[in-house]
Amino acid sequence: MEMIFAGLLDSISPASLMFVFTGVAIGVMIGAIPGINGPMAIALFIPITYYMTPLTAIGFLVGLNKGAFFGGAISAVLLRTPGTPEAAATSWDGYPLTQQGKGEKALRMALYSSVAGDVISTGVLIAIAAPLAAVALFMGPSEIFALISLALTVIAGIGTNSICRGLIAAAFGLLAGLIGTEPVTALPRLTFDVYQLGGGLSLIPVAIGLLAFSEILIQLERFSVKGGGEHVANVFSTKREDRMLSFKEFFGKIKTLLRGSLIGIGVGAMPGLGAPVASFMSYDQAQKRSRNKEKFGKGSLEGIGASESANSAVVASSMIPLFVLGIPGNLAVAMLMGAFMIHGMQPGPLMFKENAQLMYGIYGSLLLASLFLAVIGRFGLRLFCKAVEIPAVILYPIVIFTCIMGSYLGRSDMFDVGVMLTFGVIGYFMRKFDFSYVAFLIGFILVPEWERALQQVVIISENNPTMFFQRPVAMALMALTFFVIGKTFWNNIKAGKDCRAEKVNTSAKAEND
Amino acid sequence: MLTWAIPTYTPAYPGYGASPALVANVSVGVMIVMACLSLVRLLLARFAGKTLPAEEGQFPEEAQSTGFTQVGRINLYHLARFIVPSALLLVAIEYIGYVPAAFIFLLVIQYFIGSRKWLQSTVLSIVLVAVLYIVMRYGFGVPIPGPQLF
Repeated sequence: MEMIFAGLLDSISPASLMFVFTGVAIGVMIGAIPGINGPMAIALFIPITYYMTPLTAIGFLVGLNKGAFFGGAISAVLLRTPGTPEAAATSWDGYPLTQQGKGEKALRMALYSSVAGDVISTGVLIAIAAPLAAVALFMGPSEIFALISLALTVIAGIGTNSICRGLIAAAFGLLAGLIGTEPVTALPRLTFDVYQLGGGLSLIPVAIGLLAFSEILIQLERFSVKGGGEHVANVFSTKREDRMLSFKEFFGKIKTLLRGSLIGIGVGAMPGLGAPVASFMSYDQAQKRSRNKEKFGKGSLEGIGASESANSAVVASSMIPLFVLGIPGNLAVAMLMGAFMIHGMQPGPLMFKENAQLMYGIYGSLLLASLFLAVIGRFGLRLFCKAVEIPAVILYPIVIFTCIMGSYLGRSDMFDVGVMLTFGVIGYFMRKFDFSYVAFLIGFILVPEWERALQQVVIISENNPTMFFQRPVAMALMALTFFVIGKTFWNNIKAGKDCRAEKVNTSAKAEND
Repeated sequence: MLTWAIPTYTPAYPGYGASPALVANVSVGVMIVMACLSLVRLLLARFAGKTLPAEEGQFPEEAQSTGFTQVGRINLYHLARFIVPSALLLVAIEYIGYVPAAFIFLLVIQYFIGSRKWLQSTVLSIVLVAVLYIVMRYGFGVPIPGPQLF
């Protein structure tokens, strides 16, 4: 109890409040800019957190992530260009409302739905993470090894359409994560006699290169200078009923919001699914169960509420696997895990034992971030709408230069800038050839823990390979890992057959016609 | 990797625990097996005169599975336009210092992005270089790379 109060008191210290507030404000601004999303923002801002205390750093990054989730809705509603992928479903109803001159009302619905989903999800996280972590403490190295293997397999499917390419990317991430000092012998491994690699590849330049720099390179390929920032017109009506959201309008959708939040919590707690899945699933359910089905896609506030409550609920719930098992479920959480590690903490069940005060401080920051999101969104909506109008010729040089100097900032070493550029190029090719950089990054982050668990298993069992068969949970998890691989391969083959059959049918039909 | 890099740059087995090369070998093994599997699928499909489904194609167009952009074919000229100045910046900073190197870099990058308004480019470059200099040097106390102007 003492720890809880101490942690919560830490979270309301002036420094913590300021950084959470700043994080949310920057997050909303960045999320509103099409092409820049939460994980990318976290990658760009992690170097700054080197100079903060762990609580302020995590509070700032959590605020950034929460803000970016809502920010994505701004460009989705105003431009029909989702700032983040999970806001795509929001644009289906948000943009038609903007065309009707009710953009502000749509944004208010998105804001309050986001806050509702976020608060419910944070409450669930606070209620269940610690008890589940207590259970997870009974896991030994065999279970941890099996669990990380399962997580890597599940995550290999993210961001690519081929499990082969996903597994190649994850294995490549593992290999890159092995560079540095080998934990048992304490001798350099795969450093190629480059002394800067002795401590391993730093997460910051790798993440900035893969997430931000390569993304900018790809976006610049498509960019036409003639355009630049998009002008938003006809957003703010002069009529009060078109601008404001009434209590009746909001609370009339409370069932949809609760359903969306629960879907978001469920999806977020499972590694590998992510906010876009939650958002689409919730929208689909809302449409099926709505009395006004015909309004969906034409400017339904219910559609916006369903999408936003679900995707915002994912933010907090995706931290459940991180806090309970030490496994990141998605890219944003992987980046947060990196931030924890930079500040000398290993996310997982032991955190509740070793850093209990900090954990409760983080809970406090999560709740404060939701509160700040409501306040900042309410009073700064018009200002943030201007973010979508920033011309690209100004935005891109700023992002490129921030990538370069952000990589330098971590260890004050230009070598890291070289690493960032290298991974920028690698990321560019990975995107082009549809290799999952998400799987790469999560493999890169998880490999030290995975290898440590493996070493412990081998040492404890004295090189006995049957160790896994003596631990039922580990055995079940390993079986599940092979099942996931087999199932994904089977699905891929089946999808190929279906696609070919469809092509044959289409061509036969065309010939008949 | 398996025949040269891993054996040469991995410590010898200390006699207990797993070999330091084990995870590295497994990772490379997985990469090789998966690459072979993809190749076999591709060749089988080609010999059978069938095409793989769109999602198995080499260059996914506009795939938005993760929200990040994946577009079109590789454009080495485009890549070089941004990577070469960035690499040159690394070298230039060491010799002429952060301020002039970063200023020139930003002008060049803006030119390649397509900006032809020289006044806007110059102002943006000066402001960005100055802001990051102040934030890094006086905000975080980070040493600025290369010779110092002030």
